Parts: sequence; structure tokens; C-alpha cells
Amino acid sequence: MRMRVLHLSWEFPPRIIGGIASHVFDLSRALARRSLEVQVMTCNFPGAKKFESIDGVNVNRFEAYATGDSFLGWALRMQKNMEISSSDLISGSGGFDIIHAHDWLSGVAGLGLKQLYRRPLITTMHSTEYGRRAGIHNDLQESIHEIEGWIAHESWRVITCSYYMRSHVAWCYHMPENKISVIPNGVDITKFSFSFNYWEVRNRFAHESETILLFVGRLVPEKGLDTLIDSLPIILARGANVKLVVVGEGPQKEMYQRMANDEGLHEKVFFAGHIDDWTLRALYRVADVTVVPSKFEPFGIVALEAMAAHCPLVTTTTGGLNEIVDDGGTGLKVPPNDPNALAGAILRVMRDVGFKNYIVENAYQKCIWNYNWDKIAEWTNGVYDAVLNEYAKGAWKTPS
Amino acid sequence: MHILLLSWEYPPKRLGNIADHVSTLAHELVRRGHEIELVVLDDLKQGFEDVSGVHVHRVANPVKTHPMASILSYAVTASLQMEVKSSDIIYFYKEQKKSIDLVHAHEWLAIYPTIVLKHAFHIPFVLTLHSIEGHRCHDHFNATSLAIKEIEDMGIWESNSVIANTDWLRKEILRYYGEGHNQKIEVVWPIGVNWVDKVISVYNKTAR
Repeated sequence: MRMRVLHLSWEFPPRIIGGIASHVFDLSRALARRSLEVQVMTCNFPGAKKFESIDGVNVNRFEAYATGDSFLGWALRMQKNMEISSSDLISGSGGFDIIHAHDWLSGVAGLGLKQLYRRPLITTMHSTEYGRRAGIHNDLQESIHEIEGWIAHESWRVITCSYYMRSHVAWCYHMPENKISVIPNGVDITKFSFSFNYWEVRNRFAHESETILLFVGRLVPEKGLDTLIDSLPIILARGANVKLVVVGEGPQKEMYQRMANDEGLHEKVFFAGHIDDWTLRALYRVADVTVVPSKFEPFGIVALEAMAAHCPLVTTTTGGLNEIVDDGGTGLKVPPNDPNALAGAILRVMRDVGFKNYIVENAYQKCIWNYNWDKIAEWTNGVYDAVLNEYAKGAWKTPS
Repeated sequence: MHILLLSWEYPPKRLGNIADHVSTLAHELVRRGHEIELVVLDDLKQGFEDVSGVHVHRVANPVKTHPMASILSYAVTASLQMEVKSSDIIYFYKEQKKSIDLVHAHEWLAIYPTIVLKHAFHIPFVLTLHSIEGHRCHDHFNATSLAIKEIEDMGIWESNSVIANTDWLRKEILRYYGEGHNQKIEVVWPIGVNWVDKVISVYNKTAR
């Protein structure tokens, strides 16, 4: 009989808030390709259908509206709606083998459903409240932190996207590391091969004589754009004519703009804001170097996108990036907060064409072998099998 | 009848009148031959206790810190733990081929677990409202009281029967939540001894 899995997610396309939407979109479809019966329960969205089938995945959207006294209050009430709708789905469809939740924004509903139906809960912890804010500084955060811990505790297995996150989650919630499986994020390389007008795209972002350095990310302190801006004068002083293109928005934008102006770099840094998916993928392909200067990074999806687009990569040794990039093999890595080292690595990639071609091809191969969604679905399926095997041996079940 | 009572107070935890109300109800029901499981929220006392025939299951909120401004954070997490305990109780009896006939929730904090139990196990439920949010906030609705009002609204919609303590409260519930609920609201004035018999008649009407 086909294994039946219920994925719970607070976001799913067309409702896109962070990275979980596209993760669940790609993972659920890849699991369906493996002949699993996959249902997704997610928040409703204007214009999106209540029920639809996308490449074999059955998507169910519930009413997410609820008055809340805070984001936390809303998020918890939203999950009661999620739980009630899932309950009706389970009653109507004959049940599920596995409940798979993503982060605390669906884990609370997952926890309830696990107990109501006595079915194993698996939770992917994409991030933690501690990591997002570099510590727990107030009661609101502590509350979310404790909720995450409760979910982690109730989950039969937790999945993280990097070994770095596994250690972090284990430490954060006092969990044994062997309860956590590491399965990386993926990238769909087919999305990056299309024909387009190279110069038309390139000229929108830089002068023809300029080398494009690309930064993609929310403009928040942990992404480390300040280090990259600090490295620009060093690169320019060595005679390299570069243009830094910054894609993304965030609370630190004005601060970074002021910083670039203060250093006399207003012509060398272009804040492009949000751009559409197609343009971003084309931009990866016309850019000369993608730079990921993060100070905290659970995974680093930008690195995968650059690798899939044949764009050479310079990153820091932070978090998941340290596992994605092999220094000198699939890119170059430098310590975080070090503008000199960053400038040196960028210059090396710019000037040594043979080396550049070598790392770009290695990186592309690594995308094909390590970060493709069919592989990820296979590993995820393996976790499901292991959990169901344990479940079958135990006494905790619904009485027949 | 085998009845699951959900409340956020029961002696020794007393915040208001509901502790004694629920206590009298539970013990009088046991005296009349009914089997009572009582799940109550008590952060200072946890675990199982047989209190003269009433099976008391006390649970605490696993989430201990909450932002000052958010009662919802406490309420939803605490009631999730009541829900978890309730489903454990239901499975405990299922294993002995016994079932729970009815869930009886007291006040808004018990509403979420009761709705979820209804959807998951198809057990009918009775909701007693001792007061309503419109009165407690004197009609000055802020985000918190609006949320609580929505939860009360949900509970009234989803419940099979609603019990109000006075005819005045019955009329107020209809005024706030719609005349359409007229058929499901019963008035049980909880004074004297016979009021428990009136509750039982509501149970008889509600249970399958």
C-alpha cells in the first residue's frame, strides 16, 4: 500500500513568506514522484483554490484568518484552524501514516494531530528562534523558544538541513543528536537553463566594463552585507572595476546605503530591491561572482542557486555554507567579518579563469548529485521508513 | 454515562466560582451513577487523583513563559495539553472497549480542545458559559478580547448544546452571538441540589 504523508506548512505557493513555501512545494512533488500519497495542509490565500492537485500533490487550504493579540497569538490560533481542518481531512480520507510539520508555525498543529490520531510526527526545523535573533532576549521569544522545544520533544524525528543546524538544534532543545536526521535543501537546476538576451539583462544592472558581484538576501545584520561593502575599496584599489548588485530588502537597507555613500561607493553599489524570480535567475547567470558574507546561516540556499547557475561562489565559513562549499573545490570560503580575506578571495576568482571554470563545474556537479529534489525525497522517504518501522514495533497505536 | 469534563479550575485551584461549580457537578454526577473524567489545568499540581470517585487528571502548561500582553499564547498552549491528556484518556478506555459519551467544556479556555475532540472522535459536546467576553471587557474590545469573543463564537457554533446559568445570560448570548442559537441554549440555574438533574437532562438530549 502507498505510504500516506500529511505535510503541514503555514506557507505554500502562491503564499510565499520565507523559504518554507518553496521547500515544501519541491519536496512534496518529489515525494509524489516516488509514488507516496502526499497531502499538504496550508493557509488560504486570495485567488488560490481551496483544493487543488499539483503534480500529484493534493493541496488543501484552510481558513487562516483569526484575530490575535500578537503574531504569536495569531500563529497559535491559525494552527488550531489547521488542526481542525486536518482532522476533517483525516476523517474523510482514512488517515495518514506520517505527519510531517515544518517549523513551529505548523508544529503545534502537528503535535495535536500526533496525539489525536496516534501517528508519528516528523518535524523539519528550518530555523530556530534563538538563531534568528542571536539569542533569547524577551518573553515573546522565550515563549516561541519553549514551543519549539515542545515540538522537538514530541517529534519522533527532527530533520535539519545541515550538520551545523543539527548541533545547534540539539543544544537549543537538549536533544540527543541521534534523534536528528540531516537532509540538505535542494535546487531545481532545470529552472536555470533557458535562453535569454545576456547583454539586455546585464546592462540593467551594470556598465559593460564592470564585473558584477552579486549579493542576494534579506538586508538584516546576520547576512553580513557590511563586510562585503567594506571589502569593495580593497578590491577597487587593486584596479578591479566591480559593481556590487544587492538583491533583497530589509530593515538595514538605509544603513547599508548610508555606509556605501560614506565610503564613496555610491556608483559601485546598486540596491536593486526585490526582483522577480526569472530576472534573479538570469542575474545569477550574468553575474561574475556570487558573494555570501553571512554571519549566521542555517543553510544558505543562495549558494545553491549560484552553483546551479554556473556562477562562481565566495562565501564565509558560517553554518550550512561551510558544508555546501568545499574551499578551492566548489568555491572559496573565508572567515566571517573579514573584509580583507573576502576581497582576496573575490579577486582570485575574478582573475584566475582556469580556477573559476574548475570550481563552477564542480559546483554544478555537486548540485546534480547532492542537492537534487529526487535525492532529497529519497532520503526523506528513508526517514519515514525508519520511523514507521519503529512505530510498528511499539505499543503506542490506536486500538483496533 | 461516561463524561469528560474540561475546566481550567478545580479545587485546590480556585480562581473564581467555576472550581466549586465543576466540583459539585462532578461529584453529584458520580453519586447518580455516572462515570466522570475531569481534565483540569493546574500548573501547581499534576497527575491523576481519584477524588471520591471522580477521576481527576491535572495537567500543566509545558510552555512556562508567555509575553505579558498575550493571554492567547497561554490559553492555546495550555488547552493543547488538555487536548493531549483527553485523547490519552479516550484511548485508555478504547483499549478496554469503553467509550466517552459526551464532552462537557466550561468557559472559553476549554473550547479549543473540545472542538478538536469533536472533529477527531465525533463525540458530541456541551458548553457551559459562566460569562461572556463582551461583559468581561465591558464592550471595550481590544485584539485579545476580540480573539476570545471569536473563540466563544466558534464554541457556540460547534457545540451540540450550550448551558447558560441564567435566563439573562441566555438572552445576552443570543444578543452577542445570534438568535439562531436559540434552540441549543438551555438555562440551568446552578442553585440547590436538583440543578445537576437539569444538566443530566441536557446530556440526555445531546448524547447519541
